[in-house]
Amino acid sequence: MLKKFHPFYLLSRSAIYIILTAGLVFTLLPFVYVFLASFKTNAELLRVPPTFIPEKPIIENYTTVLSDSQISLTRIFYNSGMVAIVRTLLTLLISSFAGYIFARYRFTGKNLFFGMILAQLMIPFQVVMIPIYLLTVKMGLIDTLWALIIPMLIDAYGIFVAKQFVEGLPGEVMEAARIDGASEFGIYWRIVLPQLGPALASLGIFTFMASWNDYLWPLIIITSPEKRTIPLLLVWYSTQHGANQGLVLAASILTLIPIFVVYFLAQRWIVEQSTQSAFK
Amino acid sequence: MNALFTRALLEWIGTHEGGRLTASQRRFAFWGLVPILIWVFVFVLFPIFWVILLSLFSYTPIREGGWFLGLGGNNPFVGLGNYVELFTGSTKAARIFRQAIGNTFLFSLLAVPLSVGTALPVAIALESVHERVKSSFRLIYFLPVITGSVAVTIIWQYVYAPNWGLLSQLMKTIGLTPPRSWLSDPTQVYFGIPLAMLAVTIVYVWVTFGYNTLLFIAALQGVPAVFREAARIDGANSWQEFWHIVIPLLRRTILLASVLTVISTLQQFVLFQLLTRGGPAYQTQTILLSVYQNAFVYSENMGMAAAMSIFLFIILFVLTIIQFRLLRTEWEY
Repeated sequence: MLKKFHPFYLLSRSAIYIILTAGLVFTLLPFVYVFLASFKTNAELLRVPPTFIPEKPIIENYTTVLSDSQISLTRIFYNSGMVAIVRTLLTLLISSFAGYIFARYRFTGKNLFFGMILAQLMIPFQVVMIPIYLLTVKMGLIDTLWALIIPMLIDAYGIFVAKQFVEGLPGEVMEAARIDGASEFGIYWRIVLPQLGPALASLGIFTFMASWNDYLWPLIIITSPEKRTIPLLLVWYSTQHGANQGLVLAASILTLIPIFVVYFLAQRWIVEQSTQSAFK
Repeated sequence: MNALFTRALLEWIGTHEGGRLTASQRRFAFWGLVPILIWVFVFVLFPIFWVILLSLFSYTPIREGGWFLGLGGNNPFVGLGNYVELFTGSTKAARIFRQAIGNTFLFSLLAVPLSVGTALPVAIALESVHERVKSSFRLIYFLPVITGSVAVTIIWQYVYAPNWGLLSQLMKTIGLTPPRSWLSDPTQVYFGIPLAMLAVTIVYVWVTFGYNTLLFIAALQGVPAVFREAARIDGANSWQEFWHIVIPLLRRTILLASVLTVISTLQQFVLFQLLTRGGPAYQTQTILLSVYQNAFVYSENMGMAAAMSIFLFIILFVLTIIQFRLLRTEWEY
């Protein structure tokens, strides 16, 4: 019988907690320090030796950032949010649809087609970003939000996962629906797609986060200030306000809030599924 | 698309599992896949061909070139000239690139033991505590993974700020003298490792530590208890069990985590771009930073940047093959 392995015997109780706490401090200290610093006045921020807890906390850093007409935070959040949502939804639809076709239809050339798609796993984006940039210029998509979506739409890993998942679904239901006169697309839309929930959830969260946090590609593509995404804004803002660090910190924390909310709501899928990608 | 070609392809899409495909089923499978395959061709297969071509030309998009992708004409074919220049030439870009290769490998070499060496003990400790404690620790350890790299660099600038930064202050509190600067003093080199490189590596480890911990937790959960029971019956003590049973069984995971870490270090851009921008004195210049700068900042010769991309591609390709090999091997113990 295979029982779960427990390395209890290795470490004493206290050693275990010393290691875990060290990891906790290492992880959290920078966050906590910066979070507290965002409530300090500029004078206190630059004081030597620095304070850890703000002497008299202020919220002006946040109110100033939120009302700064120069950056229009709502516009930037809209850009990042729209790109992330559209990219995520389209990626999920395409992945599940392609996965369904590869799992359920047998046809000549299927392995060749599937191999073509999986080739993407061997070609990292950084390697082909120069031709993709030139392509984006030729297509007239340069400096548009679509350029942040279209080249990223198809995710070989997502198609692979969806295919595995659809293969695991019982075929009888689909066959029965077909006999009842459902269209092929109807079978995908009404029978397959609803059952893909758990597989798509983690894929969706990771696509969303990758899009929300991406810096290199937007840096190359976006030039207009009003089309900036959050990472671009943060970098620009921190160079603009080198002398007013409290504002930069407040802006950074504001941009972290949405992603942390998503994380805490969806952590079950994130934490449990994230390592699957490495194993499968 | 040509109608005849369409029909030929439709015929080619053969039979369905449940017998012959009806015409509508064939149409569906065909038209469902065609746009996806076109996309893969346009954004994956064609670009890799294009970047290889680019690397053989002296190319910049500003110059009017030949009819095919702007190559030829004012953007002349140079054969392997870009590669020769990169590895033997004396232009500034080439010299910096050669330094960047060494730096990038140094970064990988530092990151692997630091990532594995911190994540593995934490994973073992986490496996030993109660489920509820475990899940809340995991939740927190994973936070830096989801924090965007740009926010990460802003946070760490406060840690590394000279004099008034968190790290300098912590050192002073325990009576040590912090270095004048963590990220910008080229004279700070310890055992051949520039301090700035070490500093960036620590940020990288901070970001990826939660991910590697999860990898090891998953692997530890797969080690069956019968092995350690057998070892104990044979009279092994705890440490012998650990070194002779657990570590060998985890060897593949350690190898996998190392390969994944190397792949991700080679693709790291943001930390270097925003914390050090390759400095001081090019001590943290990486391959990807060179690709980015030569292609999009100086843009004197995109062909040269393409050749750098191909060099990066070859290394990543070999590593990805190793990764797939490791994944494909049976995970049963």
